[in-house]
Amino acid sequence: MAIKKRKPVRGAVDSYFNGLEREFERWRETLFERPSWNLKAGTMEPLKDMKVTSTEVLVTVDLPLTVESSLQVKPLDVDTLEISAKMRRTVNFREFGATHHKGEFQRFDCYIQVPVPVIMDDMKIKFKKGLLELHIPRKQRR
Amino acid sequence: MDEQISIIERTSVPSDALMLFGFPDVGLVGVIAAEHLVSELKLVEVAYVDSGLLPPLIVLHDGLPHSPIRVFGNDKVLLAVSETPLPVELIYPVIEALINWGKSKKVRMMISLSGIPVQDRQDLKALKVFAAGSTPAMLKMAQDRGIEVLSEGYMVGPQAVILQKCAKLGLPALTLMAQCFFNYPDPEAGAEVLKGLAMVMGIKVDVAKLLEKGEEIRLKARDVMQRTQQEMSKMKKTQEMDIPMYVS
Repeated sequence: MAIKKRKPVRGAVDSYFNGLEREFERWRETLFERPSWNLKAGTMEPLKDMKVTSTEVLVTVDLPLTVESSLQVKPLDVDTLEISAKMRRTVNFREFGATHHKGEFQRFDCYIQVPVPVIMDDMKIKFKKGLLELHIPRKQRR
Repeated sequence: MDEQISIIERTSVPSDALMLFGFPDVGLVGVIAAEHLVSELKLVEVAYVDSGLLPPLIVLHDGLPHSPIRVFGNDKVLLAVSETPLPVELIYPVIEALINWGKSKKVRMMISLSGIPVQDRQDLKALKVFAAGSTPAMLKMAQDRGIEVLSEGYMVGPQAVILQKCAKLGLPALTLMAQCFFNYPDPEAGAEVLKGLAMVMGIKVDVAKLLEKGEEIRLKARDVMQRTQQEMSKMKKTQEMDIPMYVS
């Protein structure tokens, strides 16, 4: 019989609250609208999409005007990724015709939470014409 | 509900014009194409949609209020365009009002510009344009001019209602759909659908500028795309990707 290792109490509590925080974030995103930019951080949130297949999780992120060499895909934990990239040039509100806001953006930044167990270390990254594609293999049940 | 939606004319409207539609949908293909047409053909606002049924929203241009759904035109073309996605419950009444108005102006044909989502879009080098028509004669015309017909499948959204209503009224109508991304603004698809329009109707516009500005458009269109996604989800837009079960 396999013996299930028990997590130390503190780790279990942390993990519980982290999960709760993520659930809250997801709920907040659904219920409350917010702008797709963060003036303080100078970042814009890109459009993103996710598809779960039987073998992998495919994440795509639309990153127009991105400097490819600046692209960062960072796993934060077992199911969360942070994606950031520098833009080729600074973008400001005036270009979008919005004169009532002031500020500029230099980067894209977003978080992605994967809904099934995956092997982050085996993730394959493709970037073409400003579209980022992440292929993350799913953990197979034994 | 039609009487609750008015089309207010700002200038005289030509008769016998071609009426085009560009509404937010997959890849924002119709809106991107429409915006390019307005700028290239130097179309001016000739009418707008007014209704208490619409969300309490105006679009400010140079500090002045405008309806989000407007008709631009010149002496040959009328172009109905929306700068915000239509709430699903308003698609029927708004489209019906626009078509009835177009009919009263004796437009000679209606063409909606849109997209058709395709898997692995990013790997496609060339994008195809498909057509669906309100009558067999319209389909033949599209085919004769080199556009492939979308023979079986589902269509969801404003262009579906345009085609259905025109078929019911016996008005000649076409929907041109370029292969595109589902969830991302797709200026390349916008350029392709304009090439399709040129093949069918001879309205030629330079799409090089549109392609050059592609990345800028993708950046600018993020928020409209996001809101369009929400409406598409409510109208079960993914049904367009379903395998049809044809009942003969």
